[in-house]
Amino acid sequence: MIERRHLAPPIGRVVATEQKPATPHQFHFWTANETTIGIGAIVRVAEGRGTGEGGRVVYGVVTDGFAYSDLATPLHDVVGAEGNPARAAESPTVRQEIRLWTAAVLRQTPEEPLQPVPLGEVHVASDVDVAQALRMDTYLGGAQPTAIPVGLYTSGGLEAPVYVDADFLLGPEAAHLNISGVSGLATKTSAVEFVLASIFQHFPPHKGRVAAVCFNVKGPDLCFLDRPGALQEEDRRRYERLAVEPEPFQRVRYYAPFKADGVNLNTLRTHPDLVGDVEPLVWGLREVLDYAEVLLNRDDIDAKADAFIDFLADRVVDKEFEDGFGGEHRVVTFADLERLFRSIFDGLELASRGGDSWRTHHIATMRKVRNRLANISTRCKGLVTDDGPSNDLPWGRFEDRTVYVVDVANVDPLGQDLVFARVVSQLRERLERRDLGVDAVVVFVDELNKYAPADGPETYVKKMLLDISERGRYLGLVLFGAEQFRSQVHRRVVGNAGTVVFGRMDADELATPGYQVLSPAIKIKLATLPIGELMVRHPHFTQPIFVRFPRPAVLRGRDGVERYPPAADLPFEDAVARQLVKLDRRVRPNQVKDVIADRREEDVRRALAHTRQARPQDALAYFKRLLGGRVAAVPAAARESVAPLNPISDEPY
Amino acid sequence: MTVSGSWVEAVVAAGAVPASHVPDASLGRDDLDECTGADPIEDPDLRVHPLDDAPPLAPGAVCFLDGIEQWRVIGYGGITPIVRAHAAAAIRRRGPDRRLRTVAEATEDVAITRLDRLPDAVRRALEAAAVRVLEFPAEDSASPALALAAARLEVQKVRAVLERRLAEQRLRALAAAEWLVVDGVLSDSAALSDHPRALGVVKSHGARYFEGAELERALTLSDGHRTSVFRPKGRGARHDIYSWYVRLWPWEGNDLLYGLLRLEARAHPDTLALAAQIAAWVRAERAPIATPDRRWDRLLYPIHDVETYLRARAPSDLTSHLASRIPQPAPRSPRTAA
Repeated sequence: MIERRHLAPPIGRVVATEQKPATPHQFHFWTANETTIGIGAIVRVAEGRGTGEGGRVVYGVVTDGFAYSDLATPLHDVVGAEGNPARAAESPTVRQEIRLWTAAVLRQTPEEPLQPVPLGEVHVASDVDVAQALRMDTYLGGAQPTAIPVGLYTSGGLEAPVYVDADFLLGPEAAHLNISGVSGLATKTSAVEFVLASIFQHFPPHKGRVAAVCFNVKGPDLCFLDRPGALQEEDRRRYERLAVEPEPFQRVRYYAPFKADGVNLNTLRTHPDLVGDVEPLVWGLREVLDYAEVLLNRDDIDAKADAFIDFLADRVVDKEFEDGFGGEHRVVTFADLERLFRSIFDGLELASRGGDSWRTHHIATMRKVRNRLANISTRCKGLVTDDGPSNDLPWGRFEDRTVYVVDVANVDPLGQDLVFARVVSQLRERLERRDLGVDAVVVFVDELNKYAPADGPETYVKKMLLDISERGRYLGLVLFGAEQFRSQVHRRVVGNAGTVVFGRMDADELATPGYQVLSPAIKIKLATLPIGELMVRHPHFTQPIFVRFPRPAVLRGRDGVERYPPAADLPFEDAVARQLVKLDRRVRPNQVKDVIADRREEDVRRALAHTRQARPQDALAYFKRLLGGRVAAVPAAARESVAPLNPISDEPY
Repeated sequence: MTVSGSWVEAVVAAGAVPASHVPDASLGRDDLDECTGADPIEDPDLRVHPLDDAPPLAPGAVCFLDGIEQWRVIGYGGITPIVRAHAAAAIRRRGPDRRLRTVAEATEDVAITRLDRLPDAVRRALEAAAVRVLEFPAEDSASPALALAAARLEVQKVRAVLERRLAEQRLRALAAAEWLVVDGVLSDSAALSDHPRALGVVKSHGARYFEGAELERALTLSDGHRTSVFRPKGRGARHDIYSWYVRLWPWEGNDLLYGLLRLEARAHPDTLALAAQIAAWVRAERAPIATPDRRWDRLLYPIHDVETYLRARAPSDLTSHLASRIPQPAPRSPRTAA
């Protein structure tokens, strides 16, 4: 049977001159002036009459284009038009002109021996050709296909799905995805949302369970992933072509710390209809101390301080501890730790032993660590609790095809670092132990410029990102990073990304050395990419490919904020009542307000946190019990007084 | 350098000494000397008319015809050259979109030599080859120089025949308002000479039709002017036509023939009426400029385009290459003279 492509007329022909020869990696071809192909188009060159039967078939992607006429010098055009540009268009004959294209070889069949591209006919690539050209045939079929659709290659009226290999996107062969693009075009986030949806729907069953942890670091970007967004007909058609269901994520879990008041959530997903799905993210001393390195300034925390922090973590926290001055401690919270410090300092002072050390730790070191740790609970108030229980991601119980959104958009940068470091470290540790609940986790981090800058100090977060980039693929810990300027991200972070995606790029960024491999035409295309079009590099593709993707089927952040405007912060009593109502719908807000009236806010927060952690059947009763019985105010006894000896008289003095 | 074509290999195998020589003249054609003299038609004597007020004729579609010839000596039988020649002609039509497209094309490859001066084996090989063999006159075979000049004339004749045949075929298919512009004279063909919409554009001026003051007026014609229409005389068996000169570019600063064209059209009163409009039309054709051809001042771009088209399709081994004059390996065949 003769395939349709064999009957299609050629759109061009390979030409080779001494100056512009055809090589095994590049060739040139001409087309009619009116042609449908352009930069990024995939073409097929075949020996003979275009069928390639019995000969070499070469697939290439157009990387540059030239147009010129037979005009020897511009001066002749001026002379011909007598210096009048308007007359140039009036000439009776249109000059001969040419469309000459340069294409980079994507694939040759047979692959050996590798030879220059034959001077044959050039055809527009068909679906089958695109699959061949991009080596997708190796993972599209077989017993265990690993293809994940990422977009549609479109050119000349042809539209072909482009797939990436799950083994090279999510490990173990290669992993990670990095996306660059200017801000404000909703490309980076949208692309990641679409790719995540595609992964969830096409992740090969034999590779196990997969989840995603997304850090929402700005605005409401990721706050409405479970809400359907508006799609146009064209988007639906693209979804259908890519075999991806246009629906929002079925399972999304939101986590956000509290604001400083400890009861209102620090997120833009506070609309009454949605806020019930948001779990507070609250960490205590143990959670913080494990990652104290993230929070402490490397300049003033030396080895001695490190040793003291390790001592606290290993020997003190969550243990019965005797301070050496007769005091017994069980340090669970920051408040407990503060009591321990006071005890030690008082003990040292009173003991008058003349020494300034306690258990080999110098008092100055201890004071320094104490100050820094105290500072943490102040700067990250809402995330870090002084004395309440923590509330964390469901470690060990991660669910398949679930997105865990950690909203740290409005958290102090220090707190963001802490959240990021702890969550990713936990993911890594649990994936290593294989007790996370899923086999692979995609971690989406925007603003890599900030977290893993090319220059600047070696922070804990940067080291951790490097670690994920270089070793995550073996664990199933996959980094999806996004940034505006790729050149400003640490080269090992972007360099280890197996799949690289480019949205519209800034011209200055494109002028940096990292883009030298791209032709000027590709750069121009990148600088003018419309929304919804991307350039993708993948280990199987020998050249970057332009694809279009449908807008994600979820509500965009900006639209979400309009449809679900965030609620104003509630007064303390109302916020507490709302949380208890969320735990137990039988609770009446007025009852809560009565219970907490005249109570210290710290006590209320602590009781609420414990109630939230315990999730009792009768939330109000449990809450009241934790809060303790109210001691009724006793009116001051009337002071006994001695009656005046003489009543006030009417005397004038 | 090896030339393609099985007959070439056959004659070399038969004993002809291979050669690779492209005579300079084969890259172009010389003007044929023409007789002089003319009858005045428009004015009593040759006068100059400005084209200022003449609206250019603007036919919706125009066909342009041109031909090329290429040849090279591919071998010698003794001192008699064996020439391989290629002639081609094409018509490219310009429609309302102002773009040129080929509508007719003819080519012919021939061998030119003097058979009776070749060694027997070579002659038999040539006669057996699938190529038409043309012979130059016996008197020109006395020396290679004469033989090459005679061969050149034969090639020109082949080209002229191709052009004429193609033009006459096209005339029959010409639409109502469509013109045929021929690079060269019309008067070689009765059909062309009689057709109301055939125009010959002659850019070589080997033939003189005037003398004295009239010649001076013709050759010093100012830019944007034409001469009065005249009827060339003394052209032997050629057909009757009207002719007039037109200047495309100012000649001052260059030479007298710079930008000077002679037009030929049917000898008919209608031609007289259209002479100014046709001249204005041809002058409008000077843009786009037909560079990089050295004759661009007189070469209309569409004609240049036809020539470019033909050269692009011509056998590549008939043009001279830089390496074509380097010493070649000695042939295996014996160098036997006739």
